[in-house]
Amino acid sequence: MELIPKLINNSYYFAAMILFVIGFHTMLTHSNLIKKIIGMNIMDTSIFLFFVSIGYVRGGRAPIIQEGAGFLYVNPLPSALILTGIVVAVSVTAFALSLIVKLYAHYGTVDADEIALIRAREER
Amino acid sequence: MYLHVPVLIVVLLLAASYTVPLLDRFRRSLALPITILSLITAFISSLYLLYLIGVRGPFAYHLGGWPPPWGIELYIDYLAVYMLIVISSIGLLIMIYGAKDLLHEISREVLSWYYTLYLLLMASMMGIALTNDLFNLFVFVEISAIASCGIISAKADRRCIEASIKYLILSALGSGCILLAVAMIYMITGNLNFDYVAAALPDALKLYPYNIVIALGLFVVGFGVKSALFPLHVWLPDAHSSAPSPSSAILSGLVIKIYAVALVKLLFRVFPAQIYDVIPILDIILFLSVFAVMAGSIFAMVQDDLKRMLAYSSIAQIGYIFMGIGLFGGRALTGGLLHIFNHAMMKSMLFLAAGLIIYATGIRNLKDLKGIGVRMPWTMGAFTIGALSMVGIPGTSGFISKWFLALGALDLNRPFYVAIILLSSLLNGIYYFPIIIDAFFGTKMNPVSEFRDVPALMLIPVLILAAGVIFFGFYPKPLLDLVSKAISF
Amino acid sequence: MDDLVIRSVSRLVVPFIQLYGFYVIFYGHLSPGGGFAGGAIVASSMILYGLSFNLEAGSRKLGHDISSLMESGGAIWFLMIGLIGILFGSNFLANRFAGVSLGTPGQLFSGGIIFFLSLGIGVKVASTMITLFYSLSGGEDNSGTNS
Repeated sequence: MELIPKLINNSYYFAAMILFVIGFHTMLTHSNLIKKIIGMNIMDTSIFLFFVSIGYVRGGRAPIIQEGAGFLYVNPLPSALILTGIVVAVSVTAFALSLIVKLYAHYGTVDADEIALIRAREER
Repeated sequence: MYLHVPVLIVVLLLAASYTVPLLDRFRRSLALPITILSLITAFISSLYLLYLIGVRGPFAYHLGGWPPPWGIELYIDYLAVYMLIVISSIGLLIMIYGAKDLLHEISREVLSWYYTLYLLLMASMMGIALTNDLFNLFVFVEISAIASCGIISAKADRRCIEASIKYLILSALGSGCILLAVAMIYMITGNLNFDYVAAALPDALKLYPYNIVIALGLFVVGFGVKSALFPLHVWLPDAHSSAPSPSSAILSGLVIKIYAVALVKLLFRVFPAQIYDVIPILDIILFLSVFAVMAGSIFAMVQDDLKRMLAYSSIAQIGYIFMGIGLFGGRALTGGLLHIFNHAMMKSMLFLAAGLIIYATGIRNLKDLKGIGVRMPWTMGAFTIGALSMVGIPGTSGFISKWFLALGALDLNRPFYVAIILLSSLLNGIYYFPIIIDAFFGTKMNPVSEFRDVPALMLIPVLILAAGVIFFGFYPKPLLDLVSKAISF
Repeated sequence: MDDLVIRSVSRLVVPFIQLYGFYVIFYGHLSPGGGFAGGAIVASSMILYGLSFNLEAGSRKLGHDISSLMESGGAIWFLMIGLIGILFGSNFLANRFAGVSLGTPGQLFSGGIIFFLSLGIGVKVASTMITLFYSLSGGEDNSGTNS
């Protein structure tokens, strides 16, 4: 039963992995396109959580240099990387949503299965 | 000064891609010349980099003057220069073709945005080839994902938008896997630079074997989705067949290859050799590539639409490249990497020739293409050369890369893969030759109501690519020298 | 929407939001924030204006000419600042090694070129978000692309 203390110690990573799998599963199985985009956002957010929690140093303070010596600072590199990652995720979400708006104007539905049915019916 | 050329190529393409919307607002006629001028400059600079690396050897470039591990590093070796030459030359030829063709496929307001996205795609592909840093690789992969979805959905056809959103969702899955793999590696080693990670991983392998295995698996899945390895290829037929012809050409010719090259850089420069005892990832890639080669050809045989058939053929050909990666011998890897350039030339030429046929007659269905060789002899001649090269007839460049793959498989005592290569070449012939035979010797086609004459500017890139296929089939020595220097990691 | 309270309050509040957004952009190297977050805050001020008045007034307020100039200008400004490093002998985007004076830490004009890079990023992110909002909410600029 030494699994339980290990999970509690690494609770950030555990939560990030659960969110990743939830987002992945949502992206793959739900047929509504908006839900797929939400799943993509959950998956990306979980990876950002994972990345930022890697840089945490217990007992450290915010990584802005202050007067005095002997302070323990949190690792600032993951936060800087994730800022770029968040902007990328926002761009992909915005692009996907604008494509869905155009798709809705053409087909009248946002459901991927119904769009496939309409396509199959008109190709016959 | 000349050492800044690698970063200046990427900066020039980025600056050009941001100038085009400004020009579209204020002086519209300058947008296309600026695009072509920047692509010509990129091509000449990559040839200059080839000369430079021959004189000085491979060198590294530190952004901001900060040495690694603090700064981002670009490493210019033979593999990077090879990919730069491939990308810039074929990108330039496709854009020359697209100068006339795009006006008929996408509307006038969106045309300048197409140039912007095209230049962003070129800049990000060159960045993937050059970079030596894991997170920089991720950023360029994301830029190229959005740009390649953008050039598919530029056409206002509803099939394009559906294909584009399918590609975007699967591509976002791949990017998520890649970012998680980068996070895993950062967690274990604390560095993001390729060389520093490669130095730290063998020790970390004893402490955290499972993390490294997960990171390797996520990289293979992430890059496999983006470069259409067999079970993850489902977005490719829709995306490449419904896009405008220049987009199909650059997507099939260049974009799916650069992710395979990124995977090669990771597998052979970053991950230690001991990891291949823990998990036989190269054998898995080899196994999947055999399926890709077979399944791509079998699916292509039953297609009716010309561009959809060419898209399925791309899946088969990317299988050859992954077969070269999976075999990882001297000559097999050479054959695989050489196939990148050969397939880029062949498939771009085939897609551009298909675009010419659609431009001139509006026909996309294979059954209606009988006798078109008489009306369009140059186009179908180029298509014939491309098809012969796909099958691997000696005298064309496709033969050289398949020959090296087969020799490499024999070097490693795996004759099964030679049988696979032969069988798949036969399958390639089964669906390419009927088109050519029908085109030249079929019954005379019904006169099409609107037959537009093909302008010379659209025909010239196709003919240049066809000449290149034959030239490099008879004289592959410069390419072989470059590629064999590129794989000496 | 036609509400009098919302219109008068947003007319008062929009300049302060923009001021706060520019503060976050400029003090990016001293306190949390930087170009991306500050640009998003500046964009939210114009989105608030567009939501509380009607969308045509909002899209007229920041015209199409100016917003495309800001987008391209922000990115080209970033690349020009990076080329300063090459001009002064070091590599692309060089800060200390190009001889840029670093100032005293804690002051506004310290950190060399980071201030100018944040400004370029902030302007570009703000104009991109405003363009995205107006193209997604059914405005007349429906090109379906973003950069």
